[in-house]
Amino acid sequence: MRTATLDDYKQRLLRVLVHIQEHLDESLALEELAGLACFSPFHFHRIFKGMVGESVKEHVRRLRLERAASRLKLGAQPVVRIALDAGYESHEAFTRSFRSVFGVSPSGFRSSNRRPRVAAAPSGLHFTEGRRVGHFKTIQPQGKKMEVKIVQRAPLRVAFMRHVGPYSAVGKTWDRFLPVLGKEGLLGGDTQFIGICHDDPEVTPHGRVRYDACVSVDERFSPLGEIGLQVIAGGEYAMTTHFGPYNKLGRTYTRLLGQWLPRSGRQLRSCPCFEVYLNDPQGTDPKDLLTDIFAPLAARLSIPAR
Amino acid sequence: MTKNNQDKIDLYKQHKNEYAAAKKPVLIEIKPAVYLAIEGRGEPGGEQFKASIGALYGAAFTIKMTRKFAGQQDYAVCKLEAQWWSDSGPDLSKAPKDQWRWNLLIRTPGFVSEEELRKAAAVLLDRGKGKEVKEVRLESLAEGTCVQMLHVGPYDQECLTIAKMKEFVEKNQLEFHGRHHEIYLSDPRRVPPERLKTLLRCPVRPERGGSERRV
Repeated sequence: MRTATLDDYKQRLLRVLVHIQEHLDESLALEELAGLACFSPFHFHRIFKGMVGESVKEHVRRLRLERAASRLKLGAQPVVRIALDAGYESHEAFTRSFRSVFGVSPSGFRSSNRRPRVAAAPSGLHFTEGRRVGHFKTIQPQGKKMEVKIVQRAPLRVAFMRHVGPYSAVGKTWDRFLPVLGKEGLLGGDTQFIGICHDDPEVTPHGRVRYDACVSVDERFSPLGEIGLQVIAGGEYAMTTHFGPYNKLGRTYTRLLGQWLPRSGRQLRSCPCFEVYLNDPQGTDPKDLLTDIFAPLAARLSIPAR
Repeated sequence: MTKNNQDKIDLYKQHKNEYAAAKKPVLIEIKPAVYLAIEGRGEPGGEQFKASIGALYGAAFTIKMTRKFAGQQDYAVCKLEAQWWSDSGPDLSKAPKDQWRWNLLIRTPGFVSEEELRKAAAVLLDRGKGKEVKEVRLESLAEGTCVQMLHVGPYDQECLTIAKMKEFVEKNQLEFHGRHHEIYLSDPRRVPPERLKTLLRCPVRPERGGSERRV
């Protein structure tokens, strides 16, 4: 039986990390990077963050700043030019970022002979001019071991309303969605309340995050108005429970996909994760909220051992 | 999911002192309150019990959302509560579980009408939801003076907390009268049994039958 090992995940991410180092002047779109590692764009960002310890965006920004630091020291280019090359449109924004990473302004950095502070890099990866990245440190899971169950789910019919906008505003969509279903008698005692995030709120611009507010329905339901019908695929899922406020869900996703998954011997299917809300956020203290997160697993490949 | 709105009624917040989660027994005055309620008999967690919980929540959500859709006063659906007793008396420890009787409750604002409940039940039945919804009633409870205490742990260890409540009641020359009432603060589906929080409440009255004290 061939399983995806932690090393496989590292090799795939390394391809991305090498590409980033060699293409710092390009836009480095997330879809393209995900493709390089053969990860689905749904999941790539979480896996990256969980393994490398910083988001793709943070990683790219840091490397560009490290490159800028090296150019300040070794070259004679004007600071404004170096700022532009690092992706900053103003001198001020560049100075602010630079100072937050190196503790000194760009011009101060250039004129000083002291050894500069090294930027914090959880993965141990820094900008290296002309030298190819060979390895990186994966972030070790910290704290209590994450409890993850592998579960088999049947396909589930859900009524849904699409939300496009900031994740923090999905409540407004629920507020419109539930009364329409409720007055039709579609919210029974065993109804499941589910959220499907098609985009990652941490990487997609706020106004463009697509999220489906979903409620389980039986076979008699047919779409009405802006409420559609979809089927959440059945099959194997990795499931973990998030305890606490919804604005901390991202951390649990990152631990599940970026830390548990690479050590699980499993791979993901190319469909979105979803979350099942176990309680009513109205009248529940945010710290008592319970949310099950489901990540879709690909079938195990059975390849005879050589 | 939905966020709390300022203009939304939260009965637990409005009557905060009635939901005091004290680690020692305390006396609390409980004002009359309205509940959606459904009665039954048998083991907690059994088929009838689960169907009744489903019917109760179905009615609660349907009434609330129908009002919300019509732009009427919004409110949060409260947590599940229950009264427990048995045919042989209020002391459950002496009765087999299949003879336990329960009245499942969800506290509801007083403005919810019988008419709204009837309509909600009809809509749910029409959608093919369980017939138990016909048994859901609006019920007013006037519990008055009660002893209340927070129980942390599995439901089957409530007797330990009840013993402390009983001791407190006797020391204060009171006695239990009426049904034992529980308010489920935690969700047993994911919260491990040892961390489950349940408010235990029982109405009390001055001890009758002279100065005879049980030991």
